Amino acid sequence: MTSADATHGRSAVSAPVRPTPTGTRGRASLGLPAFWLLLVLLAIGAWRVSTLVGTAFTSYPVATVLAAVLFTLYAVPFVIVARSVDFLEREPPLLLAAALGWGGMVATTTAIAGNGAVHDLLAKLVSPAFAASWGPAISAPAIEELLKTLGVVVVVLVARKQVNSVVDGAVYGAFVGLGFQVVEDFIYAVNAVAIAGRGDHVGPVIVTFFLRGFLGGLWSHTLFSALAGAGIAYFVVRQNRPLWRRLAVAFGCLLGAWAFHFVWNSPWLSDGLGYGGLGVLAALLVKGIPPFLMVMLLLRAASGSEADFYLAELVGDPDVATSKELAALRTGRRRMAARRYAYARCGRKGANAVRMLQKAQAELAVELSRGGDRVPELREAVLVQRRRLIAFGHPEAADPPDRRRAWGSWAVGIGLSAAVAIAAAIAINALGGS
Amino acid sequence: MGYGRRRLFRNLWGSLAVVGVIAGIGWGLPAINSEIPAERPVSASRPYPVGAGVTVVPPRGTSLDATQTAPGVTGGQVLFYIGGVRYAVVVGPFTGTLSAAAAKLRAQITSTRGYQVTGPESAIVTRAGVVGRQGMYASSGRDGRYAVFVDRDLAVNVTLAGNDVDLRPLLRKIESSVMTISFGAT
Repeated sequence: MTSADATHGRSAVSAPVRPTPTGTRGRASLGLPAFWLLLVLLAIGAWRVSTLVGTAFTSYPVATVLAAVLFTLYAVPFVIVARSVDFLEREPPLLLAAALGWGGMVATTTAIAGNGAVHDLLAKLVSPAFAASWGPAISAPAIEELLKTLGVVVVVLVARKQVNSVVDGAVYGAFVGLGFQVVEDFIYAVNAVAIAGRGDHVGPVIVTFFLRGFLGGLWSHTLFSALAGAGIAYFVVRQNRPLWRRLAVAFGCLLGAWAFHFVWNSPWLSDGLGYGGLGVLAALLVKGIPPFLMVMLLLRAASGSEADFYLAELVGDPDVATSKELAALRTGRRRMAARRYAYARCGRKGANAVRMLQKAQAELAVELSRGGDRVPELREAVLVQRRRLIAFGHPEAADPPDRRRAWGSWAVGIGLSAAVAIAAAIAINALGGS
Repeated sequence: MGYGRRRLFRNLWGSLAVVGVIAGIGWGLPAINSEIPAERPVSASRPYPVGAGVTVVPPRGTSLDATQTAPGVTGGQVLFYIGGVRYAVVVGPFTGTLSAAAAKLRAQITSTRGYQVTGPESAIVTRAGVVGRQGMYASSGRDGRYAVFVDRDLAVNVTLAGNDVDLRPLLRKIESSVMTISFGAT
């Protein structure tokens, strides 16, 4: 047990979070075979992806550049959301980049060969018609989910001490999935240009961007891999649970990711039940929204559990964090609400001061949980931000007292997503896509 | 700080397992796939469904490439082999004119390095009365024929390719098969 565990009476084994021990250095990973494996596979993947991009650029330079720019920009909101989930105990940027690279370069290039082989085997052993309709549902979930989950496994092998909670696994999984999603969508976009046979036209890229980005993008690889990654992290972190249970959760999460992917790729409802474009759109929402909500709720529960663990370190020291601030720190939505409240009361500087205070509080909470020797320094950093807030006449970084209920923002979010999906469907129709 | 020998071995076994799965998917599955032949016989006595309701009766002695054949609701494709000739039929949604469909197919053919369209196009009519266009193309060592039909917001592209010795004696037989293309019942 660390000193912090002893202080709070929590067992390092039974806690939902296993803080990174003090003195952990990234350089230590250099001695591990998994680190060199990761490096070699990333290099091979980068070479294969650059070959694909180079071939596409030679034939369709404008469309290829547009596809690269659009899907890179598309990744930005996903990164912001994933980093917001990862607010309290931040994952090292290099490991996140490795996870992104695994998804975008190792998993994609390996999946191309595997998916093609499974499709062909189905066509040969069952029938071409079966392969055409069920091939994507059988090959892609099995091959891609496995390959992406291996990315989280490699992160664990390289830096096990950085995977401290179920949320960490979900974050690494989300980055693996995001890398996969961006590169796969890019490949689909340039393939669409080639299939259209009209030369270097950008129309198919824009259609693919709306179709795969907005109609199918929210409930896609990022979400599926976050679920599978959470399962791997549970296996690694919850050492107090029986082995069979940890294995069951890890495989259950992978199976969940597989099942959501299978349903999404299956031909079920693909004809929109005879209601044309609107029916197809409704079918996409019916297939996509339930897994989206399910995974988001699971992540919310896991991140709440992680937040409770770290924020317990700050309880009882109102100079560092008041009870209202602790409540506001617990979720990304409430942290944002606290910043907006400060912005309304004292402008941009106030919002910035709240953001800085929240960051300082999070760093202190993590350091306390690790029993680290930077506690006095980080406590002072919190107090500096507190004094800044007091100077602005807004001493407490709490969310507004009359904030809307949680279901209200969920309803707004779902409504907005549906509106974006309908707008994207109209745009695709106008551009001549199907 | 060094690692314990046991932990290093565990890490090594874990890494090897990861390599094993990647090799299995990236090389193992394609290797198994390449061991199983893709060609299978196809009946010349009944129409073969290409996709989107379009059918074609293949010539006698034709085999099918199962991996390049994909019938679908809104489109599809089939690849037949007859002797040394590749006979492909592709159907997909299309709302333009016959001329536009022919231009698109010509562009697709000539986008392959070394392929060029040779000679003028002529008319072709299926047994069901759908008027199309046909022409010839060539690359080094291979001759080809193409035909395009447009009906009911669908375009059907037909391409034949083979060396001259293989293609010439089979042309009449394959052209008869092309005439059997049907866009399905109204």
